[in-house]
Amino acid sequence: MHLDPFELHRPASVDDVVRLSRDLAGGFDYLAGGTDLLPNYKMHLNLKPHLVALEDVAELQGHTLARLGAMARLADLETDGALTAAYPSLGEAVREVATPLVRASGTVGGNLLVETRCFFFNQSYFWRASLGFCLKADGDRCHVVPQKEKCYATFSGDLAPALMVVDAEVEVAGPDGRRRMPLHELYDLGGDGIRRTHLAPGELVVAVHLPEASRGRPGTYLKLRVRPSYDFPELGVAASGVFEGRRVRSLRLAVGGADPYPRRFDALTDSLVDTELTDERLQEFSARVERAVRPVHNTFLLPDYRRRMVSVYVRRALTRLRESAAS
Amino acid sequence: MPSPGPLRFQLNGHPVEVPAESARILLDLVREDLHLTGTKRGCDLGTCGCCTVLLDGRPTLSCLTLARLVEGRSVTTIEGVSPRQGLSRVQQAFVDHGATQCGFCTPGFIVTATALLRDHAHPSKEEIERAISGNLCRCTGYTKIVEAIQSASREGV
Ligand SMILES: Cc1cc2nc3c(=O)[nH]c(=O)nc-3n(C[C@H](O)[C@H](O)[C@H](O)COP(=O)(O)OP(=O)(O)OC[C@H]3O[C@@H](n4cnc5c(N)ncnc54)[C@H](O)[C@@H]3O)c2cc1C
Ligand code: SF4
Ligand code: FES
Ligand code: FES
Repeated sequence: MHLDPFELHRPASVDDVVRLSRDLAGGFDYLAGGTDLLPNYKMHLNLKPHLVALEDVAELQGHTLARLGAMARLADLETDGALTAAYPSLGEAVREVATPLVRASGTVGGNLLVETRCFFFNQSYFWRASLGFCLKADGDRCHVVPQKEKCYATFSGDLAPALMVVDAEVEVAGPDGRRRMPLHELYDLGGDGIRRTHLAPGELVVAVHLPEASRGRPGTYLKLRVRPSYDFPELGVAASGVFEGRRVRSLRLAVGGADPYPRRFDALTDSLVDTELTDERLQEFSARVERAVRPVHNTFLLPDYRRRMVSVYVRRALTRLRESAAS
Repeated sequence: MPSPGPLRFQLNGHPVEVPAESARILLDLVREDLHLTGTKRGCDLGTCGCCTVLLDGRPTLSCLTLARLVEGRSVTTIEGVSPRQGLSRVQQAFVDHGATQCGFCTPGFIVTATALLRDHAHPSKEEIERAISGNLCRCTGYTKIVEAIQSASREGV
């Protein structure tokens, strides 16, 4: 498959990226590792006339225990034992993304902003043309939830939930300067599913900041997928927290792979703090999380199964945290 | 759209200079312009690993790499992994263990396995399985591929 022509830009600093983004006024995509964007371009999904490659921007590279550059490669995070031990949810999530070959190129920024997925969208141009295009690319209606306003494609990145539960913050830069926000506030839960984040036009992700307070806190990431070697998540549940015996001292829970955005469940987890997490309470809690997510029929596994697996995975994740406190 | 100048990089240890448009994919450049057809096009979408090359020594999917982004870097294809005469240790082990049938996936596996054994002289079975988990084979059922890589590692690289 050959790509349609585009102009490739290779800025060397964040300032140059921001300047370019202003000049190109929306007619461009950022290119990080390309493992998500290029397959989509090959399928003629929302092509732009310009690509801005972030590869040469030194500030975006590399990682430490406190900061993941947007261009840090997933393979380099995975092999850093100090990092994966400091943030176990991240450690478990990163080795579950795609395959080692994809992780060699795939980046942190690209993973957080990975295109949402739907089996009416991730198809060739010919396939989509035959059925009639959809809202997310070239068309005006949704084939999954028939209406013309909203796209329900699934957020299928593994890192976002794992980073949300360690209270990661995301640093972004754009025409109006730099700002930082909690990662879970990057995603627009009230959006139309096409525009999915609170990034302003032209804004790019510079880095993810990892707070010292979360370092070493027990955590886990459980991923449901069809083929364990490389499928996208059909569900991803991340949890991080401190237990004293069965008593919850602190707890964060985030779910991805089920809705058009990854999200935390702070109101639900806060209600558990300073209480004993008995098996009955855990059962009740996991059922409440299950009721809050709404998978639709646009991935391989049926939505009812995915939804029911939410409570199973939430129970498994919290049991794991509780047991690690007991041992 | 302005046409970029010639693309220069190291290919299998030799400098090359070749025209390449911005939208040219490395796999297409290697196969169609440089006529090195050992690197295979399977899915063209990142799922099969048939197109694996070494980019600055790291196994990389050439079907998802823009050619212009290898400017000044080093690319090794299956042709560069093979000795001038005969077979490499990994290649010979694939032959000896019947780890290749139709052969379409084999260049990708050899490139991935060669990098693995360069970095880990004696990987465990699990490490081997993990390392090749992005390479698909529709024929062998993988057992013989894992055995071949184990055997090549025992001989040392
Ligand atoms: C076979 C296969 C299996 C996969 N399986 C998984 C999986 O299991 N889990 C998973 O999470 N992903 C999976 N992926 C998707 C993808 O490989 C990863 O999400 C990867 O981390 C994306 O990173 P990238 O650098 O390649 O992104 P790119 O493709 O370069 O970019 C992705 C998107 O993010 C935007 N972007 C990238 N960086 C920035 C930035 N700094 N600022 C603003 N915008 C930016 C791009 O414009 C683009 O829209 C899979 C891909 C393939 C091909
Ligand atoms: S959920 Fe609807 S609008 Fe979104 S990609 Fe699928 S079919 Fe298209
Ligand atoms: S051809 Fe590149 S991964 Fe299949
Ligand atoms: S030998 Fe035929 S695909 Fe592997």
